[in-house]
Amino acid sequence: METAQPILQVDHVSKVFAPQLTPVLKGLTFKQEPGQFVAVVGPSGCGKTTLLRCIAALAQPDEGAVLHRGQQFDDPPPWLSIVFQDYTRSLFPWLSVRKNVAFGLRDLTKNDRDERVQAALCAVNLEHAADLYPWQLSGGMQQRCALARAIVVQPKLLLLDEPFASVDAQTRIDLQDMVMDICQTMSLSTLLVTHDIDEAVFMADKVVVLSARPTHVVEEIAIDLPRPRDQLATKETPEFLHLRHRVYTLVRQQAQKAAGGNVTEKV
Amino acid sequence: MTVRRAHSIPLLWQIGIIAGLLAIWQWAALIHPAPYLPRVENIVAGYVRLWHGALLWSAIVPSMYRLGVAFLIAVLLGSTFGITLGSLRGLDPWVRPVLEYLRFIPAVAILPASLLLFGATDKMRIFVIAFGSTFPVLLAAIDGARRVEPMLIDVARVIRLTIAQRLVRVVLPAALPSIFAGIRIALSIALVMMVISELIAADDGLGFYILRNQRLFLTENVYAGVLAIGTIGLALTLALLTFEKRVLAWHHGWRGLVDPKGV
Ligand SMILES: Nc1ncnc2c1ncn2[C@@H]1O[C@H](COP(=O)(O)OP(=O)(O)OP(=O)(O)O)[C@@H](O)[C@H]1O
Ligand SMILES: [Mg+2]
Repeated sequence: METAQPILQVDHVSKVFAPQLTPVLKGLTFKQEPGQFVAVVGPSGCGKTTLLRCIAALAQPDEGAVLHRGQQFDDPPPWLSIVFQDYTRSLFPWLSVRKNVAFGLRDLTKNDRDERVQAALCAVNLEHAADLYPWQLSGGMQQRCALARAIVVQPKLLLLDEPFASVDAQTRIDLQDMVMDICQTMSLSTLLVTHDIDEAVFMADKVVVLSARPTHVVEEIAIDLPRPRDQLATKETPEFLHLRHRVYTLVRQQAQKAAGGNVTEKV
Repeated sequence: MTVRRAHSIPLLWQIGIIAGLLAIWQWAALIHPAPYLPRVENIVAGYVRLWHGALLWSAIVPSMYRLGVAFLIAVLLGSTFGITLGSLRGLDPWVRPVLEYLRFIPAVAILPASLLLFGATDKMRIFVIAFGSTFPVLLAAIDGARRVEPMLIDVARVIRLTIAQRLVRVVLPAALPSIFAGIRIALSIALVMMVISELIAADDGLGFYILRNQRLFLTENVYAGVLAIGTIGLALTLALLTFEKRVLAWHHGWRGLVDPKGV
């Protein structure tokens, strides 16, 4: 029953912050199957964070609906986890890394909780920093802490809002591999928002390309590259390069449209 | 090394200045004996008398009891209501006008009214002290709760904390630095109100002790009482700062990184 139904359906979602402004989202539609890794790419400021907040039921769309396993939610569904874009602000500065990760766990015995936290910290290679405070960590470590907090609750759907922005290139690559690994082993459905096209194509089963504002889906591109994927080997295959080219062309068109003023277009 | 020097020289100076002031006082008292200028050793003797035996129980303890109870009430009420009001924006338009009005009423002004209400009782004094010292805590807590990082609230919502749990586990710790700033102000107000409340229709407490000895022209006891109040204020402030330093260790570390000059 669960497998028959998409884990997530975004159905003609529109969001307007102020009536006199261009809508941020306009009729945005796509869906995600269980276990699927979906990457959403779109120009900067097009409303990707707004979209994720609507999906997480932290905000409600003005039109349309977000369905989780066919159901509409007023509060975040229990199987959903999110890693916010601005990780420095999303960690509790008064809690150690361990306690930040444990924050999401309730209704468990202390033993179970410690075990789960330990496992999550291991998965992101952060055991050695468990007793430090977030502000004592590097950016990459803070991001891994936020990731550990998101997976410790064993979610079904993981939302990632540009999780690898503002870390250096090597860390970024390591984090990509780590996230793909975790999502595979936990058989998570993952929705990754990014503006890095390589990243989107490399990690995802499907890339959803967004337009400039008012934002809608321009195209959904299936990425049928075999797994496990390798940072070097996969990125050198002609299939990868071809897909990357397609996504890149679409995104560039949108960026030019955004720069050339608000041309409204029909899909 | 530099830290040590920067610390010890002012300390020596401070001791020197206090000793100098005492010496001048004593010198003045010796060459110009007057009732309002008792000699230092008499003041010291009066001061020491205050801290043991009958006077401890009739002056210090009642004052400390009222101060303690009222201060506790102020801190609990102020932070509970402050955090709630600061978080629930919907309540703001209802509560804000009343608060803005009440905060301008000096606590002293309600003393006669509370005397009518409670009589010359401990309750009356505790009420007056608490009334005056609740507001700084309340306003600081409201302010702290308003400035909580919204993303942390989102984090709490995603793990489906109830509103009450969010207040306790997210808003309270986040607002704590602000609340402590309010508590420090509240402490000094509480001391003032403690003394004032004991000047009216009292038969014990430090305020009463000072007033009575003034009427008896026992000036050394008057000064001793004043010094005792200073001692209590200093001790409570130091205790509060020590407590704050432990509870807010994370905040000092965190702010220290953001702004190396410190708060
Ligand atoms: N609460 C809000 N009130 C008013 N406007 C908002 C609000 N939140 C977002 N916006 C506006 O909506 C637009 C989209 O914001 P959003 O953060 O969703 O974009 P984004 O695609 O995530 O951007 P970035 O690439 O910088 O992360 C922005 O122009 C922003 O100013
Ligand atoms: Mg964003």
